[in-house]
Amino acid sequence: MAKSDPEFLARLDRESREAEKRFIGNIANRLGRPAAGPAPVHPYRGAPDFWASYELGTEEKIGRFMDNWRAAGGYPERIASMSGVPEVIARIAKERQARSTIRQNLPELANLQLESVLPELSHHAWNGRDPEGSLNICEQADVGIVLADHAAAYTGTIVVASSADKGRSVSLLPNVLIAVIPAERMYTRLGEAMSRVASIPAERFPAGVHFISGPSRSSDIENDLTIGVHGPGAAYALIVG
Amino acid sequence: MSKPQGSNVKERARTALQDEFLIDAVKFTTERLKNGKKAATAEHGNWEEWRERGRQIRAHTVAHLDYYLSRFIENARAQGVHVHFAPEGKDAARIAMDIAKHRGAKSVVKSKSMVSEEVHINEAFEQIGIESIESDLGEYIIQLANEPPSHIIIPAIHKNRRQIAELLSKEAGETLPPETQVLAGFARRKLRDKFLEADIGLTGCNFGIAETGTVVIFENEGNARMVSTVPKIQITLMGMERLIPTWDDLEVMATLLPRSATGQKMTMYMSGITGPKRTEDGDGPEEMHVIIVDNGRSLQLGDPDFQELLNCIRCGACLNACPVYRHIGGHSYPGTYSGPIGAVLTPALNKNAEEWHDIANASSLCGACYEACPVKIPLHDMLVYLRNRKVERGVTAPGEKMAMRGFKMLMGSHAWFERAVKAGQLGQKLLVRGGVIKSRIGPLGGWTAYRHIPALPKKSFREQWTKVTAEAETSFKPMTDEMKSRMEKIVQSRAKGGH
Repeated sequence: MAKSDPEFLARLDRESREAEKRFIGNIANRLGRPAAGPAPVHPYRGAPDFWASYELGTEEKIGRFMDNWRAAGGYPERIASMSGVPEVIARIAKERQARSTIRQNLPELANLQLESVLPELSHHAWNGRDPEGSLNICEQADVGIVLADHAAAYTGTIVVASSADKGRSVSLLPNVLIAVIPAERMYTRLGEAMSRVASIPAERFPAGVHFISGPSRSSDIENDLTIGVHGPGAAYALIVG
Repeated sequence: MSKPQGSNVKERARTALQDEFLIDAVKFTTERLKNGKKAATAEHGNWEEWRERGRQIRAHTVAHLDYYLSRFIENARAQGVHVHFAPEGKDAARIAMDIAKHRGAKSVVKSKSMVSEEVHINEAFEQIGIESIESDLGEYIIQLANEPPSHIIIPAIHKNRRQIAELLSKEAGETLPPETQVLAGFARRKLRDKFLEADIGLTGCNFGIAETGTVVIFENEGNARMVSTVPKIQITLMGMERLIPTWDDLEVMATLLPRSATGQKMTMYMSGITGPKRTEDGDGPEEMHVIIVDNGRSLQLGDPDFQELLNCIRCGACLNACPVYRHIGGHSYPGTYSGPIGAVLTPALNKNAEEWHDIANASSLCGACYEACPVKIPLHDMLVYLRNRKVERGVTAPGEKMAMRGFKMLMGSHAWFERAVKAGQLGQKLLVRGGVIKSRIGPLGGWTAYRHIPALPKKSFREQWTKVTAEAETSFKPMTDEMKSRMEKIVQSRAKGGH
C-alpha cells in the first residue's frame, strides 16, 4: 500500500468542511433552527440519581468482581501483595505450556522479574518505537500481561488504556491474557472508571481505551458458546491487595 | 446479495415458514436472548428508572443533534480524525472507495456495522477489486453464504451448524466437522491472517461521545479491536444519530445495551477509540476516518411521529420480543433491518416509499416491542402511523379501499347496518357448519385460511337491545336457592385464598 498522502488528506478535509455546513445546516433546519444551536442544558446527564450512592465495601467489591469475572468464563485470583504475583504467573504459564510472554512496558510489571522466575520462557516488553517488531512478538506470544488502569466490580470489567508503553495488542493477540489489578484501582460502578477516563485532558487522551470483561467469545454458531474467537481464550484477573 | 424469494412480505414469510430449521432456530435463540434479558434486567433492578434515563438521554441528544454532532466533529478532528459526510448511502461508499483507491489498498477487514449493510460497502469494494472480509463470526458465515444478516445481534441466527460446516469447509478446502470449537478455530486462524495483512480496518460505531470525539464499539469476539488495532487505516461508518453527550452517559448505555441485547452485564469488550494512534504509540491506525451517514435519518427529525426512531440503540430486543419476527425470521423483512424496528425504520429511511410499506402490516400491534425497548420507542404506535400515512397517500389495495368505503357506509346509517346484518344472517346459511364458517370463498379466505369465523347469532345485539333494557329496568330477580348456594361457594373459596 502507498504511503499516507498529506495532499490528498488535505483535499478531503477541505471538502469535508464544505459538506459539514450543509450537513449540519440540514439537521438544524429539520429541527426548526436556522443554524446549529448553542450548548443546551443537559438535565439528564449520566446514571439515575440513586445510582451515585451505590457503593460496595472493599471486600464486597473484590468478591463481586471475582464472581462476575468467573461467570464470564475468566479466572479470577486474589493475591495478598505484588511479591506473590510472579509465582502465580509462573503457575499459569506452566499450565498453559507457554513459551513466551509479552507485557506492557511498565516498571510494576518489569519488577515482577519474570525472566528469573521463568528462565525457560522468552520474555518481552512492548516497545512503541519498534511497532513492527512489537506486533510480531505479540502475534507469537502465548501470554500477554497488562496492568489494569481501573476496574469496576459491578460488571467485572477492567480498563486498559493505550500509550507508547502500553500497546493495544498486548491484551488482544496472545491466547492468554493476565491482568494485574491493584485492589485500590477497583471501583464499584463502571461510571467511576468512565469519569476517570473522561477527566484526562485532550492532549493526553489515549487513542484506545479498552474495557475488558472476560475472554473473547461468540455464540454465532447455533447459539453455542465458544471462547477465544479472535482475542484471548483464557483471561486471568489477578487482584493484588 | 440473495434474499429469500418473494416480492412482498407474505410471499417471503411463506418461504420462511416452510423452513423448519429456521423456525426452530429463530424461536430457540430469540427465546434465550429474551430470557437472558429478563434475568439480567431483574438482577440489575430499577430497570424502569434506567430505561427512562436512557430515553431521556437519547431524546435530548437527538433534539440537539446539530449541537452534539458539531462537538463530536470538532473534538474528533482535534485528535486527528478525518471526518466525512455522506448525505446518502452511496456517498459513504464513494468516500470509502476514494480512500482505499488513493492508497492502493488491496484488502479490507470489517467488524460488524449495520450502516455498512445499508450502504452496501462490501459490494462497492468488490467492484473495484478490493477484498472486503467480515470478521465477526456470524457476519463471516453469512458473507460466505452470500446472504444479508437476519438478526441485528446474531446475523447467522437462521443457519445450522451443518450448513455452517459446509460453508467453512469450502473455504478451508477440507471437510470440517460440524463442531462449534473446530469451526470457530478455523475462522480464528483464517481471519487472523486476514487481520495481519489487511490495509484497511472498517468498523461501525455504537456511540459517538461528543465531549471527546470518541467512537465507542461494543463486542464479544475481539474482532472489532483487531480491526481498529492492526491495519494502518481505520474507516468508521457512523449513523449521524449515534451520539451521546458525555462519558457519564455512556454508563447508562453500557447498562442498557448489553443487557437488552444478550442478557450480559457487559460485552466482553467495549472500546473507546479517540483518533488515530498517537505518534509515539506502537499500534493502532496511522490514519483514521469517520464517515457520518445520513441516508434518510434526517427525514425523521422534526417529524412528531417518527423522530423518536432515532433514539434506537440497535440492541435487537424488539426482534426477540416480537411474535411476528419469531415466526417469520429476518429475511422476510425488506431492507437491512428486520423485526419491529426494521418494519418502521426501513420505510422511514426510504422516504416512506410505497414498495416498503407492506411490512407495516406484518404486526399484531401487541406492543411487545415497546415493552422490550431499552429506550422506550413506541414502535407499535409508529406502525399505526405508517399504515395511516399509507391510506392518506391512497396506496391501499383496491379491495381494501372498497371494503373500507362499504364499512363507512354501513356504520354511518343504522338502516343500512340493520339491512346488512339481516342479509348476513340469511346469506351465511349457505356457509355455516357447526356454528362456524370455514369456507375460503373470496375475501373470506384471508381470515379462514388459519381460523374459523363464528356465525352471526340469530338475533343481533341491536335486536335484543329493547328486550334487554326493558328487562333490566322492570324486573328485579330474587335470588333462588340454587343461586345462593353458588354464591356461598364462591365466598368460601375466596376466603381460602381461591378465586
